[in-house]
Amino acid sequence: MKLKAVRFVGSVGGLSSSSSSFLRLPPRFFLFPHQRPRSISSSAALSSVPRLRLSSSSTTWPPTSHSHSHSHSLLPQLPLFLRPPKYAASLSDLQIWHDWAKSLAASVGSTFLDSDNGPHSSLLCRELGWLLEDALPEGTDPSSLLSQMRLGAPTDRVKLKVGIRDLYSLWRRRIEERRPFQYIVGCEHWRDLVLSVQEGVLIPRPETEILVDLVADAVVSKVNARLNDRVWADLGTGSGAIAIGIARALGSGGCRKVIATDLSSVAAQVASFNVQRYGLQDIIEVREGSWFEPLKEFQGKLTGLVSNPPYIPSMNIPGLQAEVGKHEPRLALDGGADGLDDLLHLCHGAASMLRPGGYFAFETNGERQCKFLVDYMENELKGSFLDIQVVSDFAGFQRFVTGFRQ
Amino acid sequence: MRLGRSRSGSSVPTNLVRSLFSSLPGPRTAIPSSSHRSASPVESSSTAGSSSSVPRILNPPFGSCRNLSHQKGTFSAPAYDIVKNIIRSSCSSSSSLVSRRRYFGGVRLLSNQAAVEASTSDGLTVEGILSSQWTILDESEGDWKSHAAAIAQSIHLIKKRLQWKKLLVRFQVLSAQLEKPDIWNDPAHAGRLSREQGSLLSRMKEVVEFERELLENIDMIKLAREENDSELELESLNALVRMRRISKEKELEALLAGEQDPCSCYIEVQAGAGGTESMDWAAMVMQMYKLWAQRRGYGVTVVDEMSGDIAGIKRATIKVDGEYAFGYAKSEVGVHRLVRISPFDSNKRRHTSFAAVAVIPIQGDGSTRVQINESDLRIDRFRSGGAGGQSVNKTESAIRIVHIPTGITVTCQNERSQHMNKASAMAVLQSRLDQLERARQAQMNAEHTQSLTDISWGNQIRTYVMHPYRMVKDLRTNFEVSDPDSVLDGDIDGFILSYLSASLDKDEDDRLYWEGG
Ligand SMILES: C[S@@+](CC[C@H](N)C(=O)[O-])C[C@H]1O[C@@H](n2cnc3c(N)ncnc32)[C@H](O)[C@@H]1O
Repeated sequence: MKLKAVRFVGSVGGLSSSSSSFLRLPPRFFLFPHQRPRSISSSAALSSVPRLRLSSSSTTWPPTSHSHSHSHSLLPQLPLFLRPPKYAASLSDLQIWHDWAKSLAASVGSTFLDSDNGPHSSLLCRELGWLLEDALPEGTDPSSLLSQMRLGAPTDRVKLKVGIRDLYSLWRRRIEERRPFQYIVGCEHWRDLVLSVQEGVLIPRPETEILVDLVADAVVSKVNARLNDRVWADLGTGSGAIAIGIARALGSGGCRKVIATDLSSVAAQVASFNVQRYGLQDIIEVREGSWFEPLKEFQGKLTGLVSNPPYIPSMNIPGLQAEVGKHEPRLALDGGADGLDDLLHLCHGAASMLRPGGYFAFETNGERQCKFLVDYMENELKGSFLDIQVVSDFAGFQRFVTGFRQ
Repeated sequence: MRLGRSRSGSSVPTNLVRSLFSSLPGPRTAIPSSSHRSASPVESSSTAGSSSSVPRILNPPFGSCRNLSHQKGTFSAPAYDIVKNIIRSSCSSSSSLVSRRRYFGGVRLLSNQAAVEASTSDGLTVEGILSSQWTILDESEGDWKSHAAAIAQSIHLIKKRLQWKKLLVRFQVLSAQLEKPDIWNDPAHAGRLSREQGSLLSRMKEVVEFERELLENIDMIKLAREENDSELELESLNALVRMRRISKEKELEALLAGEQDPCSCYIEVQAGAGGTESMDWAAMVMQMYKLWAQRRGYGVTVVDEMSGDIAGIKRATIKVDGEYAFGYAKSEVGVHRLVRISPFDSNKRRHTSFAAVAVIPIQGDGSTRVQINESDLRIDRFRSGGAGGQSVNKTESAIRIVHIPTGITVTCQNERSQHMNKASAMAVLQSRLDQLERARQAQMNAEHTQSLTDISWGNQIRTYVMHPYRMVKDLRTNFEVSDPDSVLDGDIDGFILSYLSASLDKDEDDRLYWEGG
């Protein structure tokens, strides 16, 4: 497989360009959102980033549903909250939309929940609030706007980051097509990050947040003080969540390099976008390729290895919640017959890639997989690992397997 | 001299007498005040150096004893006698003796004189001014007696609001504790005491100085008249007018003199029994606070909200950010009752519903926080069903934290990531534990100074009647408003201020039994 560093592919006016070039973003663009929440003026960022694709026509954003391709035609989309507030609507029009959207959400009741464990209407209503939050300019408080809707002058105009007609179609797709909320707004709040996501990239899950804490704990624990230098890897990085989380948790002095790999080029590009937005391009290197292939030069040298590989058993895929099964990439979910194909590959890889004392942490589908992996490592890969542990998530499911290379 | 060192690094003298005078030698020695009050917006800095950030005793009228040096007090007399003695001796006792001592750091024991107040050179005291019942005229009238009487009344009210006697007692207890040789073996505890002492001290000084300033100006006016110095007379009269204005502001300020009052806070509302009707009421109450906070210009964030099944909320927590948010909102603690024709009752019957309100101050960074042990926590999230992980995509990331030793449970579900929900739940937990710790401390203090507070939590404080008549009435103060809608739109300052003044302005002696106890 061809190894290549993934770069941003810029394009102008929606025409994709095949020439690769690093997207040059001004330093302001890289402020951490947690430091200055939503303070990045998207209009400023955008005006100085002409090469980032922004469809000018309101009907082409966000992109319509598609089977994602690995070609360069699908470029990182700008999340709604980063777009400039170049639209406006009257307070009363916004209120009419809001009432409509709310009643659409309410009409769902528990039908999604009953059919495939999907969201209840109360959850959809909360999402509606967040959609409004993202669609309004920074510093506009949706709840005070809503109370203003009841009290204020209906002709007052409100600035928006998306046209009111698109608000209708976005919400309709959320409910009727079960398109994930995070794809609607183009981002997911994960840990203290706001990560750009789009069709073709797995939306990072809350469970996975803990992986970052596990790494931080492992590095902090005195026994492994030496874990804090050198090279870490996040395999199957998706949106780049884990890699960015680790790089920030360990600090610039804490890790010299994090290599983030993914087989999907959309994922690699979105990851690069997120890495740059957090100003971590000097620490995190995104590489496109299958599992360890892009890491050959680090054989036996990796300090740490973290991954949340696809782990859902193939037979479970058809029964998944619509938001997942119908919209998220199968490549990110399907772990083969018993869901262990990639995890087992990673276990073997950990044995050969980690340096002695190196640390690994994998996410799994639950107790069965955890038990299997522990057993496998202790017996089939006997002598390779030390201190193998199973860690539960906050819902009480056994979720992670961690340990050290002997 | 031993200095209590507070964590913020400011040193606070541990002895009342010394400390009241420690600022005297040399011009304007500042005692860094660890008190929040130095940050209060109103300061009487315009007149003779009574700014609380540079506390010092005012110059006595004729300058003769302004350089009084350290004095040592004993605590055989009640503390407030001591204060009065200090004032007395510092301004009207023989000056030559005192000024000679200033270079030797002389020690002067105060005798058990009867309580003598600060007074003018001809013996007029603040009490005296009050009891002579001079007519108080409009501010524009240039009658000094009227100004003086108005200021004296304010001082009286301010002292009441500050719970002056209680303050002195507490100060004495703190000073005695801080004098103990082994107190600094527990630096955290000692730091807390010393910080509290420092803040009491600056509060007391502010009042003492204000009194002194009043008397000084009266002296000046009398002197000016004797000497026919009309310029001086006018100047002093203007000073009195200024003081009169400031005193009104100080009165208001004194309503919010509690240590936690300047803090931001959480407001929690919980629906009482009664299902949907009560949950709807709880939502109305929460909305009332949101609107109130917005009116006051406070920041409002919803931390947690558990919706009712049909309408309203089971409970909710908001964070109210801004100066004195806690000071005001604490008046709302208790049970709020609603009487109305229920919109949820097809038979249009009258219903009574209840909602409970709790208010928790959020301590500033400077103050000591309770240390939370990770191992004391049980953190879990609501299972969303299924295998979790990759199989589920729900934007729900609610977190529940149980603090096992205390059983305190906090949930948070309003942030957009689990990590942030956890962080904000931890912040609420921290504030609750801090509050618990303060309650524990207060109880310990109460054992020393007798039970001084009459705050009772959780009782019914206010009734909102929509039917058959319309009225909102506070059961504690009898303050009432005939328009429930305006109240529910957040216009509750009337209730808050009347409660604050009612609880502070009643006769202090009714609840203080220091001498007797
Ligand atoms: C479950 S997702 C995890 C994404 C991200 N790390 C997270 O936790 O949100 C699995 C990721 O592995 C990637 N992947 C699947 N097969 C791969 C392979 N053979 N080599 C590298 N990455 C692969 C998918 O594209 C997907 O991004």
